[in-house]
Amino acid sequence: MREILRITIGLTVSCLIAALVMGAVFTITDKAKKHNEYMNVQQTMLGLLGYSKSHPAPSELKFETIYRYIVAEGQTRYLGYLVPVKKNGKENYAFLLLDLEGKLKKLYSVDMRPEAAIEASEREKALHEILKPPRKFNYADSFIIAVLGRQRVAYLIPGEFPGFKTFVRVMLALDPSFTIKGLEIMEQEEDPGLGGEIVQEYFKNQFVDKPFKKIASLKVIKKPLPSEYRKYLERKKWKKGMFTREQIEEIRKKYRSADIYALTGATISSRAVTNGVKNMVKKFAYREKMLERVIAEENIQAAF
Amino acid sequence: MATTKTPSRLVLNGLLNENPIFRLALSMCPAVGISTTVMNGLMLGTAVLFVQVCSSCTIAAIKNYIHPRIRIPTYTLTIATWVTVIDLVLSAYAPEAYKAMGIFIKLIVAFAIITMRLEVFACKNTVAMSFWDGLGMGLGFMFGMVTLGFIRELLGMGTLLGHNVLGFRPLLFFALPLAGFFCVGFMMAIFNYVELVFNRRKKRRG
Repeated sequence: MREILRITIGLTVSCLIAALVMGAVFTITDKAKKHNEYMNVQQTMLGLLGYSKSHPAPSELKFETIYRYIVAEGQTRYLGYLVPVKKNGKENYAFLLLDLEGKLKKLYSVDMRPEAAIEASEREKALHEILKPPRKFNYADSFIIAVLGRQRVAYLIPGEFPGFKTFVRVMLALDPSFTIKGLEIMEQEEDPGLGGEIVQEYFKNQFVDKPFKKIASLKVIKKPLPSEYRKYLERKKWKKGMFTREQIEEIRKKYRSADIYALTGATISSRAVTNGVKNMVKKFAYREKMLERVIAEENIQAAF
Repeated sequence: MATTKTPSRLVLNGLLNENPIFRLALSMCPAVGISTTVMNGLMLGTAVLFVQVCSSCTIAAIKNYIHPRIRIPTYTLTIATWVTVIDLVLSAYAPEAYKAMGIFIKLIVAFAIITMRLEVFACKNTVAMSFWDGLGMGLGFMFGMVTLGFIRELLGMGTLLGHNVLGFRPLLFFALPLAGFFCVGFMMAIFNYVELVFNRRKKRRG
C-alpha cells in the first residue's frame, strides 16, 4: 500500500513539475509567437497582393480592417460593423448597428486609436461602453481593405471552412469587382501527399482570376490538369523566357472560366476548398454591398 | 561500453562504437522514413541532439528522486517536456528554423534512442558524464542521418542540399522508404568491416 502511494505521489509530482515548466515557457514565449503570427499574416497579405522582397509594397499602401459583430438585444439580433473613419483628419472608428435587412439602426462613434484596435480586448472594452447591457455582442469575423492612396486595391478576407479532416484556414484576396486575386492556405491538416497538396501552387492558383460570375457556379472536375496550365500555375518555377507575354495572356483567358481540376486522390479536399472559397466570396460580396450602401446613405467618412 | 569515461571517449563512443543507427540499430523508423535528403537528416539530427542532451542532463540530475518502478514514465515525461519547450521556444524566437524543423521536433517524443540512453547511462552517471554521452549520441545520430541522407539524396534525386549535382536521377528507388533499409544495412556492413580490420591490426600490434 505504501509503495502504491509513493508511486502515485511520485508520478503526480513529476507531472506537476512538467506542467509547470511547460506552462512557464508557454507564458514567456506566447507574446513573441503571437507577434510572429501577426507578421506572418502581414507577409501573406502583401504576398497575395503581388508584393515581395524584390518588389516591395509602396509606403502609401494601407490596410484598413473592418470587424463584424453580432449584437443581441433580447430575442432580436443585429449586425455591428466597426469601421475605421476619418474624423478631422484623424483616424478613428465608427460602429454601425444594422438590423438583419441591412437598415441602419444607430450610428455610434468610437474613440479608439488604430493601434489599439488590433487587440481584441481593447475593441471589446470600447464596445462595452457604447453597447450597454442587457445588449450582448460577439465577435464574428473581419475583413481587410487594402488602399493605395485613394484607390481601393483589394479586399483580403481571412476565413475558415471544414476540409476533409479538420478545418482549413485560408486568406482570400479579391479585387474591387470581386474577382479572385489570390488564395493562400494558412493552416491545414489534410493527408500529406494527398489532400495536403492543396497548398501547392498548381492547386491554389487555379482560383486566381476567376470572375465573380463564374465563382457562383464553380465546380470541381475530375480530369487531368493540362500540362501547359500546370506550368502556368506553378509561378515559383517560372524561368525567364518560358512564357511570352502573349502566351500568358492566352492561357489566362483560356482557363479563366474553367472549373477547378481536382487533386488526384483528394477529390473531397478539392471540393471542400472550392465550396469554402465559393461561400466566402458569396457571403462577403453580400455583406460588402450592404455595408457600402449604408456608408453611402449616411455619408460616413470612411477611411477607405 | 567504454571502459574509461573521458569526455572525448564518450563522444567518440556515441559517434562510432555505439552509433545509434549503425551499431545499436535503434530509432530505425525515423531514420529510414526521414533520411531522404541531407537537409532532412540534418534537421532531425539537430533536434534529437538538443533533446538528448537536455533530457540526459535532467535525468542525471534528478536520478536519486525517481522511484524505480516509474522510471520509464518519468523518462517519457522528461522527453515530452523538453520537446514541448524546444518546440515553443523555436516557434517564438526562430520562426524560420521552426518552419523547417517543426514537424521533426514533435516526432522525437517517441524516439527509442533517447529513452534507451536515459535508462542505460544517464540514470547511473553524473550530470557532466551524461552531458557528454548525450552529445555523443546526438552527434552519432546526426552523423548517421546525414550520411544516409547524402547517399539517398545523391542516388535517388541527383541533388545535394537541394542543388542539382548530377543533373539526372540515377536510381529513383533510393528516394523510397525501403531503400533506407538497404542504406542502413550497407552502412552497418562498412562499420562492421572497419571494426574487423581495426581489431585485426590491434591484435597484430599487440
